[in-house]
Amino acid sequence: MSRKRFSFSESSRRDLLRAGMYGVCVTAGASIPLPAFAQAAAQAKADGKILVVLELSGGNDGLNTLVPYGDDAYYKHRPNLGIPKNEVRRIDDHFGFSAGMVGFERLYKDGKLAIVHGCGYANPSFSHFTSMAYWHTAAPNSGEEYGWVGRLADTMAPAAPPNFLVNIGARQSLAVRSHRHVPVVFDDPNKFSQEKFYDEREVLDSVPDNGGVQNPTRRFLLDTARSAKDASVLVREAWAKYHSPVDYGITGLDLPKVVALIDAGMPTRLYYTSYRNNAFDTHVFQNDVHKRLLTYASDAVSAFLTDLDRIGRANDVVVMIFSEFGRRVPENVNLGTDHGTANLMFVAGKSVMGGQYGAIPSLTKLDAGDNLIHTTDFRRVYATMIDGWLGVRDTRTLLNGDFEPFAMFA
Amino acid sequence: MHGRVRLGLALIAMAVCADAQIAGPTAWQNDLSPIPSSDWNYDFAAHLLSRAGFGGTPEEIQVLAKMTSAQAVARLVRFEGTDASHLPAFDHSGIHDPGLEPFPPSRPAVTDLAKEKGEALGIKVKAGGNRRMQPIVDEFFYWLRASVLETNRVAYWWANRMLTSPQPLREKMALFWHGHFASNEAKVRDYRKLLGQLEIFQKQGMGNFRDLTVAVAESPAMLSFLDAGVNVKGASNENFAREIMELFTMGVGHYTETDIREAARAFTGWNYDDLKFVVNKEQHDDGEKTFLGKTGRFDGVEVIDIIMQQPATADYIAAKIYRYFVREDLSPALQKQLGAVLRDNHYEIAPLLEKIFLSRDFYSPASVGTRIMGPVELAVSTYRKLGATNIPGVPDFNSETGALGQQLFSPPTVAGWAGGQSWITPGLLLERANFARDVLFPDISFLPPDRFTGGGEIRRVAERIREGMDISTATKDDTKSGARAESNLKADRDEDFNTRYGSFRGSQMAIERVKPIPRDTAQVNLSRLVMKEKLANTTQVVGYLVRRFMRVPPNDATRRKLVAFLDKELGTSDITAAQTYMEQPLRLVLHLIMSQPEYQLS
Repeated sequence: MSRKRFSFSESSRRDLLRAGMYGVCVTAGASIPLPAFAQAAAQAKADGKILVVLELSGGNDGLNTLVPYGDDAYYKHRPNLGIPKNEVRRIDDHFGFSAGMVGFERLYKDGKLAIVHGCGYANPSFSHFTSMAYWHTAAPNSGEEYGWVGRLADTMAPAAPPNFLVNIGARQSLAVRSHRHVPVVFDDPNKFSQEKFYDEREVLDSVPDNGGVQNPTRRFLLDTARSAKDASVLVREAWAKYHSPVDYGITGLDLPKVVALIDAGMPTRLYYTSYRNNAFDTHVFQNDVHKRLLTYASDAVSAFLTDLDRIGRANDVVVMIFSEFGRRVPENVNLGTDHGTANLMFVAGKSVMGGQYGAIPSLTKLDAGDNLIHTTDFRRVYATMIDGWLGVRDTRTLLNGDFEPFAMFA
Repeated sequence: MHGRVRLGLALIAMAVCADAQIAGPTAWQNDLSPIPSSDWNYDFAAHLLSRAGFGGTPEEIQVLAKMTSAQAVARLVRFEGTDASHLPAFDHSGIHDPGLEPFPPSRPAVTDLAKEKGEALGIKVKAGGNRRMQPIVDEFFYWLRASVLETNRVAYWWANRMLTSPQPLREKMALFWHGHFASNEAKVRDYRKLLGQLEIFQKQGMGNFRDLTVAVAESPAMLSFLDAGVNVKGASNENFAREIMELFTMGVGHYTETDIREAARAFTGWNYDDLKFVVNKEQHDDGEKTFLGKTGRFDGVEVIDIIMQQPATADYIAAKIYRYFVREDLSPALQKQLGAVLRDNHYEIAPLLEKIFLSRDFYSPASVGTRIMGPVELAVSTYRKLGATNIPGVPDFNSETGALGQQLFSPPTVAGWAGGQSWITPGLLLERANFARDVLFPDISFLPPDRFTGGGEIRRVAERIREGMDISTATKDDTKSGARAESNLKADRDEDFNTRYGSFRGSQMAIERVKPIPRDTAQVNLSRLVMKEKLANTTQVVGYLVRRFMRVPPNDATRRKLVAFLDKELGTSDITAAQTYMEQPLRLVLHLIMSQPEYQLS
């Protein structure tokens, strides 16, 4: 287990200048502009490191994902839904993965998967939408308007160069909502194109100027049109060129698209994707369906890492996986589970120091609603991505508070 | 010098004017008092019809413009002077078999049931031989597929009502409620329940919100969607109670977790038996509950009545309706005023709508041309402006609107569609232009999705079966080399039944029984429009098309490009010279117009 404390040493101060934010460097609350050459150097160094966020929407049942088979209390709470000891894929004498999660088991044993226990926040919401909004904004119980990935993009690239932030999905996630960036949002790369007849090209290739436009919705549309123009050709060509022998399983989620874009050299540093449509909301008859969802997710993530290896970029990419909450500890009478609180987070990648982080929440000391009491503020994991992985030192401004990163990267 | 300054100011004024479209004064914003009847004009009528309906042709707008504002609003809100009785009821294909209800939650649940009882879904396990449960598994997949296809026919039926009904606000309001009380086919898996719920929206959507909420809460579609059927005494399931409060009535922050648990108890025993609402007495918790500060032996309806007494409920619903019809941002003060209108009218929806559509605020620059149309509205209004008399089968209405993020009966979650700016992403903005192209230039290789089964795996199985291959070999996965994903290894099991074969056979049975959707293309004749309007040159044509199709016109530079484009395509700017061959160029220029970012605005 690796739970080293992060310390802000002299060498990391130098790293800050080399690898940190370009544009502004914030220490102790003061803004000091970096000279241009330092900015360029910082950018050159920082370029290449990519964060992929994968959301498991609906509230994944963490207890039936990484099963605490060594804890009798688990089986007491889940007489019908508890996964039998002989079915789990053991990773140590306490925990084992759900039966279909061959991929995660292998990643863990290869030291490429970090498991963070007990992630949550105080005064948890049991509403999908509210809790997801808290995770999206990294601001529980507040009305923050912008997403944490969007704010991260603002900090990393205040000039908002095109294609810095990509969200693959049918709709834009609140997580990527940004002050400065217009995130590239698309679903099917083949359809991310304006179909046009030859003669129409001249008119359709130009985006109308938004100068002097007062109507805010119209301005928004014009800005979006510009982002579409900047990105669509690149995305389509990347996808057309992408041919992978790697088996992603039944769904693959949107991870093959991410590999395609990385391989094509898109300047994107932040990707946001999700397992869609509240799939993990397993109130009734959850066993078969939940096992299946986990198998698909595990297949897709492990294939993603294999695929990154194939294109020679495995060292540059990390994927962080979360869900808006876990499920209640005791099963319900419908062979399902209801909305809960603390949950696991996963971080996978070749650069990750695999292992388990954070304290394991107790299955016997539950809150009044029979829920896990969180041991790790989820923003510590965000801080780990922001600082430890992407080298943006000022997590405090970004996350509106002090959240100590885990030492998850060598 | 003085003259040049004045000219400059005039140009700026024109530019601002073009941006804001034809709206009332800025001071009208947030003012709910009615507009002066002397201000009523064609542009206001066009604005009204685009919001309280799905837009219309200049002739339809003119009808409203010639009335007084009060008459025009009464026509839309109170249906005065309209008759919709000629609209046909939904034409069922007749696909539901007795024995399908209660439909088990999953394929494993079906085969477990068959193992236990010797039959399931009205079909017996085969007496002997191979794959003894195959006919049952086939029937399971048949119904899954048939219900999807029939739901798509219901969507067509509804879209045709949006297009042709003389009471468009009834349909537009039903669309609002469909997103508000969201339930989807993927979970409900029964088109009949979804149709039943839609009919509630159509009949009661402009009536009383309390009655509507009770009707929806008791509808099999909602009971099934929110797992109400498994909420029983002693072990309540909170899903239903939570969503009723959070999404349907009050919004978060106005109740506690305890209120949710207590309300869930009141809803225990609520269930459905096929298409009927039932309360199972033995499963209902008749004990005392304390809910939102009141104590009593409440049942579900009484819980809804207590919710209706909360000021938050009227504020929440009124604001949501306002956002749907007017604009996204509204001040807390305006929200309070709107909530008061709803409360004072005892939750009757029509008076609130009348108030909104007559208000100065509705015609202020903040409201006019600032709303992004949702995909269904975009598609229907496009057809209406084209003068279409039915929703064409090519392109497929459901695939097109689905690709744009709004397929009827498939809201992504229980929260419905987020609306507003979330309708637009870079990808979706381009898709919208592609929709226009599919309408104006139908794809000659179009494959009807209700006949052609797109799933590669099902097609592969079908082809192999036709070639005479045995079921086990025909359903083998194709992955040749490399590590196989766990999920693909599992799907190859072949014991009492074969899932992949069932999936193929079910699709085949569904195609046999679900009626096809007619696949006509849009009957577009732009040349006739241009001739009828006696337009003489390309500048006039572009002006006419922009005004007919757009609520917010493009800027002057774009307009000039459009004219130049049409000049080039026609080889002249003289319409008389080009009248025998102008249809294709006109469609091209209309496609360019519909590709403008501003086309999304209403």
